[in-house]
Amino acid sequence: MIGPIVSSGLISPAWDNIFAVLLGMGFGFALESSGFSSSRKIIGTFFGYDFVVVKVFFTAAIVSSLGLLYLSSLGLLDYSQLYIQPTFLASAIFGGIIMGIGFAMGGFCPGTSLCAAAVGRIDGLIFFGGMFIGVFLFSESFPLFEKMYYSGSMGAKMINSVFGISPELFTFLLVLMAIGMFWGAGWIQNRVKKIEY
Amino acid sequence: MEKKYIYLSVLLVVLALGLVILPGKDDPKETNPKLLLSSVTEKSRYLSADQITHRIIENDPTLLLIDLRPASQFKTFALPGSMNIPVDSILISTNIEIFNQPGKDKVFYANSDLTAEMAWMLCTRFSLKRIYVMKGGLNEWFQTIIETKSLPVTASSADMELQSFRIAARQFFTGAGPSTVAPGAGQSSEKVIVTRKAPGEKSGGGC
Amino acid sequence: MKYDGSNYLNPYLGGVILGTVLLLSFYISGRGLGASGAVKNTVAATVNVIAPRHVEESAYYSQFAGGEHSPMSNWLVYEVLGVLAGAFLSGILFNRLKLKVEHSPKITSRRRLLFALLGGLIFGFGTQLARGCTSGAALSGMAVLSLGGYITMVAIFGTAFGAAWIFRKNWI
Repeated sequence: MIGPIVSSGLISPAWDNIFAVLLGMGFGFALESSGFSSSRKIIGTFFGYDFVVVKVFFTAAIVSSLGLLYLSSLGLLDYSQLYIQPTFLASAIFGGIIMGIGFAMGGFCPGTSLCAAAVGRIDGLIFFGGMFIGVFLFSESFPLFEKMYYSGSMGAKMINSVFGISPELFTFLLVLMAIGMFWGAGWIQNRVKKIEY
Repeated sequence: MEKKYIYLSVLLVVLALGLVILPGKDDPKETNPKLLLSSVTEKSRYLSADQITHRIIENDPTLLLIDLRPASQFKTFALPGSMNIPVDSILISTNIEIFNQPGKDKVFYANSDLTAEMAWMLCTRFSLKRIYVMKGGLNEWFQTIIETKSLPVTASSADMELQSFRIAARQFFTGAGPSTVAPGAGQSSEKVIVTRKAPGEKSGGGC
Repeated sequence: MKYDGSNYLNPYLGGVILGTVLLLSFYISGRGLGASGAVKNTVAATVNVIAPRHVEESAYYSQFAGGEHSPMSNWLVYEVLGVLAGAFLSGILFNRLKLKVEHSPKITSRRRLLFALLGGLIFGFGTQLARGCTSGAALSGMAVLSLGGYITMVAIFGTAFGAAWIFRKNWI
């Protein structure tokens, strides 16, 4: 079976939604069981007392990057069929900055706020509700940002091409960097004042 | 510095390294369009009817003739030793395997040039090597070999030699004598020993 | 509030599980996970019900709703439902179900909720501009080595370091 399975037509599109639910369950379970339903645990990365965000995030990134590249080189996956989101430089940067501010204020991101809400954390629920307002505000004021939204279009550019190296080599370097970060995180965490949360 | 994390880190690095070292999948790589264009204008892909006939008669093992016409036409008449791969199934992977065979020159032919050129273009795009086109297709082959026209008296000796070669070839294929007008199908019963004339340089091309 | 860290999964294990789910998502559906997209679709659908003409005329809404689109029958919405279910399951399994407002003992619940609301608002705004959130743009983008994904990830975390320090009274 060559992936992506749905686009190769082996499974009808109706199954796609069923898989969406199952995958979402895996997603939610992985997040919550790692502790992402606690905003104070999440924010710990930025104060040095709990680097769970760095560890989970980058482990997931390298596992999935390695996995996709291995599957592709074994002929089990058609890499060109994968959705690579298009790069719009200005909006990627500024949107990220705005999200960073919201992150620091609310202590959540959409996925984690859902997990928090699912286990009864009211602050998670409120955060998620706040998102609706924010999305609405953006949609209504879109003409103001339209130019930035579409500027700096680079298509579905992959990061390794920026450095002129192969995806495999980039992933290898990423792995090295991530391992370095993990060891560094452990080192910092041991030296920071313990917080009860 | 827990031991298990050291093991895990090493494992991870090895996995990532493996990805870099592992040879990539054997994709049929597409040729650079500029290279393709220069191949097109180069014309080294053409083999003449004479050259092909020569190699057929000699049972040249490096020759692989591929008949691109529909199976029904192939059954009616085809060049001896040729394979039938109708042009619409050219991109099936088993056929690509055939085209990938080392040590053989793959020569496409059909009734005229058009289909063979198309097939050549397709294969060359996939960087398949040693693909040729029999110039003029079967039509020209017939005119040259079977329906050999008589030469004017002032023809050069080289032309004369070619002529006698063609006539002999006609005999090979059809069993007909030098003076009869050739029918279509091959009913040759006697093999004629053809004096081998040095064919000059081998066909250009090959990669 | 006690730190019962013994109850959480080893973060690297959690990362492997998350990475595997992400991998499966690409292998099965050709796309990564996400969360903000569901919010966007819901907003667009709601506005469409209330003011369909506005949706048609809007340069933004019209991309996801109105006319032919049926934004609610959308992969991301189903996925988000799954996230809720999966997190709930984990909460049951690890005995973490509890209705509460989690906040630093140095601030009040009300302050926490206010900042949660504002934070969510600002974050939601940002997701639309960046076309994704930490899950959809950053994480899934990194899985396929997308440049946009990496840029957004760096922007989010880089900014959050500074911003968290500004809001540190809320946290530590």
